[in-house]
Amino acid sequence: MKRHRGYRHSHKLADMDFYACHSGLRDWNGCYKVGSALWILLLCLVLDNLWVSIFVIVTMGALNRKGNRIEIRAYLRLLRIPIFFLATGCAVLAFEISKEPAGEWSVALYQCYLYADAERLWQAAKLFFRAMGAVSAMYFMALSTPAWELASVLQKIHVPKVFTELMHMIYRFIFILAKVRKTMKMAACSRMGDVDFKTSCRTFGQIGGNLLIVSLKKANTYYDAMESRGYEGEMPFWEQEKPVRMWQILALAAYTMALAALWFWRKP
Amino acid sequence: MTKKQRKRFILCLVLAMAFGIAPHANAMHIMEGYLPLGFCVAWGIISLPFLMSGFFSIQKKLRQNRKNITMLAMSGAFIFVISSLKIPSVTGSCSHMTGTGLGAILFGPGAVSILGIIVLIFQAVLLAHGGLTSLGANTFSMAIAGPFLAYGVYRLCKKCRVNRRIAVFLAAALGDLFTYCVTSFQLAIAYPSESGILMSAVKFLGVFAPTQLPLAIVEGCLTVVLMITLENYAQPELKNAGYLENR
Repeated sequence: MKRHRGYRHSHKLADMDFYACHSGLRDWNGCYKVGSALWILLLCLVLDNLWVSIFVIVTMGALNRKGNRIEIRAYLRLLRIPIFFLATGCAVLAFEISKEPAGEWSVALYQCYLYADAERLWQAAKLFFRAMGAVSAMYFMALSTPAWELASVLQKIHVPKVFTELMHMIYRFIFILAKVRKTMKMAACSRMGDVDFKTSCRTFGQIGGNLLIVSLKKANTYYDAMESRGYEGEMPFWEQEKPVRMWQILALAAYTMALAALWFWRKP
Repeated sequence: MTKKQRKRFILCLVLAMAFGIAPHANAMHIMEGYLPLGFCVAWGIISLPFLMSGFFSIQKKLRQNRKNITMLAMSGAFIFVISSLKIPSVTGSCSHMTGTGLGAILFGPGAVSILGIIVLIFQAVLLAHGGLTSLGANTFSMAIAGPFLAYGVYRLCKKCRVNRRIAVFLAAALGDLFTYCVTSFQLAIAYPSESGILMSAVKFLGVFAPTQLPLAIVEGCLTVVLMITLENYAQPELKNAGYLENR
C-alpha cells in the first residue's frame, strides 16, 4: 500500500483496522464479505482435506495480497501468532508419552519415552493445514471488513441492539484509550519509568490505573456529548449502500465448486 | 549423561522453553479452525446461559440509568486495551494480561461475560488472537470460567478477612491459571490421546505451563499494583463501578 506508507499507523493495534479501512474490497457488501468468509471457513472445516486446506491458504493469501492490498511481509507477520499456537498444539498431538518404547520413532526422556509414528504426524500436519486454511479465511474477513461494518452486519441479522451498540462504542473507545495509553507510556519512559523490571511493573500498574480513571471520566463526557446531539437510547449510523453484484455470487459459487471438486478428486 | 548432567539438561530445557519459546504468549486463545466443528457449537451452547444472564444484568443496569451505556463501553474498551498491553519482562518476550480477574473484581462476572465476548471478537478482528469458530470455547474459558472463579476467590477472601491485596493477587492469578486449565481441558477433550483425555490434558498443560505459570504470577502482581493506584486516586470512580460496594 505505497500511497499510504508514510501515514501508516505505528501502533500494532491499528494495523488490521488500517488494512480493513484501506482494502480494495471496501466497496463490497459487508454481509457478502462476512458470509462468504464464514462459508469458506466452514467448508474448510467440514471437508477436512489437506488439498482443500492448501488451496484455501493459497487463494485466500492471494486475495489478501491483491484484494486487501496487504504487503506480504505484513501478512506473514500476522500469521506468526496462529503459526506459533498451531505448531505447539499440533506437536502435542503428534507426540505421545509412554513408559515403554513405542511407535516408529521414540526418544528416551528421563523415565519415559516420547514417541511418534507416521499416522500421528500425518494427522497433526492435516490439522495444521486445516486450521491455517480457516485462519486465512478469517483474515480475509478481518482485512476486508472494518469492525464497525461487522457490528452493522450483526445488527442486520438481528443480534440484540444493546450488543451491537456496545460493539460500536467499544470500537471507537478502544482507539481513544490506546492513544491516551501511548501518551502516558511515552511520558513514563521519558521519566525513566522503565529503567528496571521493578520500576516497569510499577509504571505498568500506574498506567493501567490511570487509564481506568481517564476512561471512566471520559465516559460521562461522551454521554453528555451524545445526549446533546439528540441521543435517546438509539444510535443510528449512516451507511453507504453496497449492493451484492451477480458476478460476486457466481464467483463464490465457482469457488465452492472448485473446493468440492478438489475434495472429490483427492478424497481418501 | 550422568544423572546430575541429565537434571541440568532438563532444567536448561525448561528455562529455554520458558524464556525462548515465549515470544507471543497471548493468554491462550484457541486459534481458528483448531477445534472440530461439533466442539465449536457445543462450547457456544454451553456459554449461552451465562451470556444470557450477563445480557439481562446489563439490560437491568441500563434500565436503572441509561448513562451506564458509555460506562460499560468504556469498561469494555479498557479490558481490551489492558489485555493488549505488553507486560514488563526481564527477557524481552512479548506477553499480555488476560484482564479477566481485574474485570471481574471491578465490574462483576456477569457484565464481564458480555464485555468479554465483544472483546474476544475485537481481538480476533483487530489483533488476530483467537477466531470466530473458536469464539464459544474462548468465551467459556476467558469470559466465563476465569472471571467467575476470580470473583468467587475474591469474595471468599473478603469473607475470610484476608488482606485485600492478597485477595486481589489470588483472584487475578488463580483466574488466569483457571483460564489456562480450562483451555487445556477444552483442547484435551477435542483431541484425546491414546491413554485418554486426562493424559492429553496433562500434555497440553505441560506444553503451555512454561509460558502460562509465570504469566499468572506476573498478572497477579500487576493487578495488585493497578488496584493500589485506583484506590489511591479513584475512590469516586470505583464507587460508581461497584468495586467499593464489594469490599
